[in-house]
Amino acid sequence: MELKKVTNYQVLPGPEGFLPPSAASMGIDLPGKDMSLIEGREVLEEEAMQKIAEKLLGAKNPVFFPGPQILWTWKEGVEEKAALIKQMADAVGAKIIPIPNHPNLTIWHNKIDVCVFVGVHCHYANVALKIIRGGSNCYTIALCGVAGHEDAMITLREAGVPSYKRLLEIINEKKGVSK
Amino acid sequence: MKKELLRISPGFEDVMPLEYKELIENGPYFKGYGVNDLGTYKEILEEHPLCAGCGLALALRLTLASLPNPEDTIVVGSTGCNSLGFPQAALQNIHSLFGNQNAVASGLKRALSLRFPDKTKDVVVIAGDGATADIGLDITMHSWFRRENITTIMLDNEAYANTGGQESGMSSKGTVLNMAPTGKKFPKIPVPELARVSGCDYVAVVSPYAPKKLERAVRRAILVAREVGPTYVQIFCPCPTNYKFKPMEALDIVKVKEVDGSYVSKEYFSPEAEELIKRLEGKKDKKE
Amino acid sequence: MIEQKVVDPHFMLFEAKREKKFITGSEVVKEAIKRANVDMAISYPITPQSESMHLVGDIYAEGYLKDYYRGENEFAVMSAASGAAMGGVRVFTATGGPGTMRAFEMFPTWSGSRLPIVCAFMTRGINSPLTIQPDTIEMSFLLDTGMLMFHAEAGQDLFDMLLKAFIIAEKTEVHVPIGVFIDGFFVTHTRESIEITPEDMKLPAYDPYSAPVPVMDMENVPIRQIRDPFVMKSNFVSYAAHASWQQEIQAAAERSRKYIHQYLGGLVEVENEGADIMIVASGTAVSQSREAVAMAKKEGINVGLIKVKVVRPFPTEEIRSLTKNAKAVIVPEFNIVGWLCREIKTRIDNNEKVMGGPRVYGGMTMPPELILAEIRRCAK
Repeated sequence: MELKKVTNYQVLPGPEGFLPPSAASMGIDLPGKDMSLIEGREVLEEEAMQKIAEKLLGAKNPVFFPGPQILWTWKEGVEEKAALIKQMADAVGAKIIPIPNHPNLTIWHNKIDVCVFVGVHCHYANVALKIIRGGSNCYTIALCGVAGHEDAMITLREAGVPSYKRLLEIINEKKGVSK
Repeated sequence: MKKELLRISPGFEDVMPLEYKELIENGPYFKGYGVNDLGTYKEILEEHPLCAGCGLALALRLTLASLPNPEDTIVVGSTGCNSLGFPQAALQNIHSLFGNQNAVASGLKRALSLRFPDKTKDVVVIAGDGATADIGLDITMHSWFRRENITTIMLDNEAYANTGGQESGMSSKGTVLNMAPTGKKFPKIPVPELARVSGCDYVAVVSPYAPKKLERAVRRAILVAREVGPTYVQIFCPCPTNYKFKPMEALDIVKVKEVDGSYVSKEYFSPEAEELIKRLEGKKDKKE
Repeated sequence: MIEQKVVDPHFMLFEAKREKKFITGSEVVKEAIKRANVDMAISYPITPQSESMHLVGDIYAEGYLKDYYRGENEFAVMSAASGAAMGGVRVFTATGGPGTMRAFEMFPTWSGSRLPIVCAFMTRGINSPLTIQPDTIEMSFLLDTGMLMFHAEAGQDLFDMLLKAFIIAEKTEVHVPIGVFIDGFFVTHTRESIEITPEDMKLPAYDPYSAPVPVMDMENVPIRQIRDPFVMKSNFVSYAAHASWQQEIQAAAERSRKYIHQYLGGLVEVENEGADIMIVASGTAVSQSREAVAMAKKEGINVGLIKVKVVRPFPTEEIRSLTKNAKAVIVPEFNIVGWLCREIKTRIDNNEKVMGGPRVYGGMTMPPELILAEIRRCAK
């Protein structure tokens, strides 16, 4: 038998309080195959990508926080992914800051209102995302290559070259429309 | 290490912190640098929060600079002053708990040998005297009995320095330290002799104040561990903070103890280790 | 050694034709590990776990494992397991009772370090005084180490749970250690007919780069990496990082639920749902409860049985739902502290209806008559 407690918890920008709970402990599940999460709700990946593009293009100071798995050409395929991420950052006018040790300091200091995690090892991403939600009002987006991050406001899963290409397409479409 | 690990993804060079770029361009990987090159390249350890004048910090820096292949070395550390340098050290390392560093290193070395049977992967334990000779003595010695191919390096400041200066097994008899208010009641544990008897194929006792000797000991220990058996290097690092002397006086203390016999530098080779080192160093006489 | 093929785990565990073997619990461990594509096992003697690890040593000698050795004490063994796991291999070990206590510091360390180690626990009483006999008190000590806990009822569960533990533990978003618990002697040393998967099939190998943390091999990034960093320097974010890390370990356990449903068919199993009297039990207590339920039925008393297969994460919603309408909840256990009873009482409403018992401990057996007596009392 499978029993799921209905949850009212939403993964919204903070500051959420002294120590916010993990989204998983509040009943938020990771998205299923080909799905994504927006603020804790499971949605189609396309919808999440639309929202990501919207958030990035509407941000005052969007920043990409790439991690080691994107920053170094440590295995086959990384270079292509990194190039697409760079294009994405350029397309939305975002700065790139390699994932900082103290995300909140960087966010406060730079007044970052939307940030994107990509290529950060999942464990450390999760630890950081909760702290960001606790201490800032930054909107967090995770382009996760594995299972996704419930503690981010928007998360993709198994995001790789095809997802990045699609996201870039959406961003460029939206930019074309807004001009 | 695959060289690709040291390549920044194209397009991201400008956003990488300068220290990472320096590590790639001027780091020690694949270069075979040694202590003679210090000051000309970006070291594995450049920052640490240890006390000004800390002998251990110098020893740690020199040890890391002496690694024959830093690009394929994984360090297993343990709680203590030395562990405070490792979050910043530019090679992968494991913080074990306390005393179990040689067990963690045994598991790690075996795993790496399985995954990379044709590659050199040096597993080096760097731990303090408390971790090695007290809380970890049995685990350390068992890794020697089992003949694990790992190098154990003890940074001996003769106390539990990081916790405020308590007596350790490596403190000398009579030393007054915390938890030994009337002086230590038993002699310094003879770990180098224990290492010999436990089967270490190479054992050395050095200090950071003779950097070339330290370098040679660390290199030899690692090369012997690769092919022959367990090795042990004990480095005497006097602690100004807990022993209450001026940092400049450390060198004098080392000299005095060398002469009065209470801390003598030495080197021991098993026959196989001697043969290997002779072959690798291409010298007739193992002593320089 | 026979040639083994890597197969899809789902196929191996749910579709492949199984053969029946009349074997002890210790032999079950051997059969499971033989098929689990384990790289390394490390052992240390302690009753009643020794035989299991002797047999794992034997299959290593036959070629089913790549490395195996006997360590010098349980703390050293569990430490070596962590070093091996950090080096990127699949590792198995086992212990129980005093061995669990000796190794204890490593259990929360494994969890915090996100190491997908599978460890079998053959439960045994805790000193002082010494007993080698079964007692599940050690499970109460392990409830908050961050390890997942599967409690096998008997040999068949043990076989399946060991194999499935590797699969579940190694999911990237889970990636924490799993303890598979089995009551010593009652299961380890008794023979049962067990259905085992084909000998020539094994699980896929562990992919170390699927871990949510870097591997300590100087072949992946970042190279400037310590596992695990100290998060303690005197500033708010350090403390918040430690807190957030602990939350992440608990979150990992929550994420395992869906895989537990997928591979174990759920955290609980229930028979005769909706009865006025419900027994909730785990491990060998389930077997004894089955007998008692049958005896009660003969007397015309309708009793349901909830078998708890997974203790961590705890099946909170399942237990709440399944006990909601019960008039009495009986929790027989093989320990004095009543940890399962506590787990239930803290999670359900109207918990006065939970009977903490019967309990036996120190190696005493639990005759079904003891449970039946409690059932009769509740039925009045």
